Amino acid sequence: MTATPATPVAATLTSLVTRVRDRAAATPDAVAMRHKDLGIWKEVTWAAYWERAELVGHALLALGVEPGDRVAVHAENRPEWLYGDLGTLAARGVTVGLYPTNPPAEVAYLLADSGAKILIAEDQEQVDKALAVIGECPELRHVVYVEPRGIRGRYTDPRLMPWEELLALGAGHRERDPGALDARTAGAGPGDVATLIYTSGTTGPPKGVMLTLGNIEFAVETLVLGGGFASPPPSPSDLTLSYLPLCHVAERAFTVWFNAAAGVQVNFAESIDTVQANLREVQPTILFGVPRIWEKVLAQVDIRLESASPVKKAVGRFWLRVADRIGDTLVRTGGTHTAATRLLYAAGWVFCYRALRERLGMRRVRYAASGAAPIAPDVLKFYMGLGIPMHEVYGMSENTAIATANRPGRVRLGTVGEPHPGVELRIDEATGEIMTRHRGTFAGYWGRPRATADVLGPDGWLRTGDVGEWVDGTHVRITDRMKDVIITAGGKNVAPSEIENALKASPYVKEAVVIGDRRPYLVALIGIEPDTVGEWARRRRIPYTTYRDLSGKPETRALVQGVVDEVNTRFARAEQIKRFAFLPKELDHQDGELTATQKVKRGAVAELFEDLVEGMYAR
Amino acid sequence: MSGTRAGGPSAAPAIPTGRSRRVRGRPLLHTSYAQDMALLDTRAKRVSAAALVLLALALSAVLTDPALEVLAAAYVLAIGAIGLNIVTGYAGQVSLGHAFFVAIGAYTAAALSGPPGGDTLGYGITEIWVWLPAAGLAAAAAGVLVAPLATRLRGLYLAIVTLGLVFLGEHVFKEWQELTGGVGVGREAAVPTLLGVRLDQDGAFGTREQQLYLLMLVLLVVFAVAARNLARSRVGRAFAAIRDRDIAAAVIGVPLTRYKVLAFGVSSFYAGCAGALLFTLSGYVEPGSFNLLLSVQFIAMVLIGGVATVSGAIAGALFLSLLQPLTRALPALVPVISGDTTQTPNVFQVETVLYGLLIVLFLIFEPRGLFGLWIRVRNYWKSWPFSY
Repeated sequence: MTATPATPVAATLTSLVTRVRDRAAATPDAVAMRHKDLGIWKEVTWAAYWERAELVGHALLALGVEPGDRVAVHAENRPEWLYGDLGTLAARGVTVGLYPTNPPAEVAYLLADSGAKILIAEDQEQVDKALAVIGECPELRHVVYVEPRGIRGRYTDPRLMPWEELLALGAGHRERDPGALDARTAGAGPGDVATLIYTSGTTGPPKGVMLTLGNIEFAVETLVLGGGFASPPPSPSDLTLSYLPLCHVAERAFTVWFNAAAGVQVNFAESIDTVQANLREVQPTILFGVPRIWEKVLAQVDIRLESASPVKKAVGRFWLRVADRIGDTLVRTGGTHTAATRLLYAAGWVFCYRALRERLGMRRVRYAASGAAPIAPDVLKFYMGLGIPMHEVYGMSENTAIATANRPGRVRLGTVGEPHPGVELRIDEATGEIMTRHRGTFAGYWGRPRATADVLGPDGWLRTGDVGEWVDGTHVRITDRMKDVIITAGGKNVAPSEIENALKASPYVKEAVVIGDRRPYLVALIGIEPDTVGEWARRRRIPYTTYRDLSGKPETRALVQGVVDEVNTRFARAEQIKRFAFLPKELDHQDGELTATQKVKRGAVAELFEDLVEGMYAR
Repeated sequence: MSGTRAGGPSAAPAIPTGRSRRVRGRPLLHTSYAQDMALLDTRAKRVSAAALVLLALALSAVLTDPALEVLAAAYVLAIGAIGLNIVTGYAGQVSLGHAFFVAIGAYTAAALSGPPGGDTLGYGITEIWVWLPAAGLAAAAAGVLVAPLATRLRGLYLAIVTLGLVFLGEHVFKEWQELTGGVGVGREAAVPTLLGVRLDQDGAFGTREQQLYLLMLVLLVVFAVAARNLARSRVGRAFAAIRDRDIAAAVIGVPLTRYKVLAFGVSSFYAGCAGALLFTLSGYVEPGSFNLLLSVQFIAMVLIGGVATVSGAIAGALFLSLLQPLTRALPALVPVISGDTTQTPNVFQVETVLYGLLIVLFLIFEPRGLFGLWIRVRNYWKSWPFSY
């Protein structure tokens, strides 16, 4: 490293940039992150992290990035994402994250809507998407690519630039003007927009949520240092696995903010498909997952136990039943062990839980969280019974993910927990809508003052769009998204997500969409989980070819009918599923049925499979 | 491959990365290739390896002298089996000629350490650190001479050619009386002297058997660790590539001739050393010992123990050596079987049949040998509470 120039640092606003810079100065050799390269987890120290972020920052200055200019990052989770993010923040730019799965049309929309000047694209795939739509993005001036394979020596577009060249540019700029970046950073104010987080857009096009430096600092104080998302608060000895898209506010918090603010060691999974293997290697101490992940792991345990040898199966089943009982007790006590559960757990630890958790990669998890979408309480209870402290948390991009969280020892299943300290939360008496007010409330939707005014009143209260209620005056229970609530022809209000999650808690059900607005009764479109149902069919020697074929089997219908009947017993008559139909295909982001965060776009699905729905009402 | 991320026309300034530290309690989180390839990569392996060595050392103080002698012979055979495993197991070149290389080692050592001016050749150099490497090198030289055949021949043809070596060797050694003493006469074997201390007589470190046992144990550990290290190196990977498909190996840039010569050379070095040591226990070499049966014994050890594993070769050698005292006790239990070679059936015939039977059974039921049995047991618990 070259000699750092003496610049006045004291006056600078504390931000992610200063936090990383201070860590690089205080513990230069400590591990900031690891990424897997050719089978080896390569370490990146804090000094190396800051060095690269600084180079990116200088390079952005050299490329003429002014305060407030947008820099887009289109990559899987990897160190370069963080270098780009921090470098952009240091240059007072605005980071815009794109989902790696975004198809070209959405890339065009996001780049044009944000008006990004510079795009950091991961590889040929993402570069191709950008080049295909570059005509629609007049403000895009440079496309930096990280992986040169397939690009170097073959692509001639003058706007392309390899990552190394960007760093070299930064190094040259730093040599000529060493204090420039620090001077730029020092000018930052808490009201500066730091990042645009695009909403997933279950209805209508995505909107860019503007989060300011002040918002992020409040999130850091509340969620990270205050222990809102990991209690006791995280420290440099904690490890996380980063595998969900970084453009989502939750993963950004658990990766970038946890890392910068608390020094947590971030480990980047190779891809979403290798999460299970990477979990086993990394054995993180803090683990965040979306419901889909937790449901999938649960289903995996189920299949693998089912196909284990008789002795193992018997032992595993027995201890899982015990875990279920432990879970029941923990649910009653709010997550605190009693003497009896401790004893049971200790016995189970020897015979099953230790090995099982090791296999799942959760042996050392001290805090697990589920968020970003509703989850069935049974799934959470399963993990609690295994001794994995599971907490449901709640937040959204618009309030920097700061709203409520279950706290260790005060867990209430079925609720999203208590409001964080310093957070005002109220439930509208007329509509039941949850509203929040605090320093993390966003600055508005990018370029959409009308949409902003719809959700953010002049009094600073943010309308979350979720319907909820208080439980015991301390915890918040969310019924559903406001616009998803179904009013049947009989005039009954039904929250579909509750029914859907109960269905999805079954290992055989992957997707469930409940329909029934202004209809005589409820019906459901159900997508089976191909892994588990396939395994189930294999064991019963039911031959099948494709997903569609498997869904069409009368045996499969009987299996799912059993699940539906079981779920129906838990609901009132008007909330029961009278009929269901199988989705003929797996829902997909590319086909417009799911958002980038794998949430079902109800409208799109109901429209696409209209004949199926009508068929269920016609009979 | 590594050039995909660094380098290029306008290389970025070099940035220090991590020092690749181990992360506590996460044995699968490898931060460097050294950790990935480590011999004893988990705590359990470190502890059990140390315990095994300590146990073997302790045995020298516990067991009786005859038992120690059997074990010492087993250790020496294990060295030979490891050698055969290198060429046949790791590099996949079937060799039936192992007995030939063992003989070369035995006679080189015997000639070097034999008394000068006797009936047979002798140079009076009894220091083990001279004759042991010399025996190995002489055998290795023979191996290197034979190796070019292996680059031309594969499979069955190579097996037949190496089989021919055994017959050639047997004939030469029977006829070359100045060296070997001739059929039925034989000669005294190499004398193990370490820095002037004769290990084949009761001395400072215990009885003759205790001293020899410890010598063989130390040498076995040295040879075994060396073989493991070879197997996990570039050379070992080249061997494996050749074993799996030599044409494919050549295509990905493995020089076939060089590595086949190396495999035969190293393997013969092990065989030579084993030969030199084997007869110090009885103190006597007879040229009739180096027949096809000896080669088959080594193959049996490798196949029963586990192909392409060092611990398997050791296990196989121990298993077959300990089988011998058991079969020798048979005449007392089963009167039909005689202890006399002139009668049929006798224990030696039973032994030969048993070797064949064991090879057949292992190849059918557990081709990975004793090591494979261990792997099964280990995987059962490793995959707990699932089955895979």
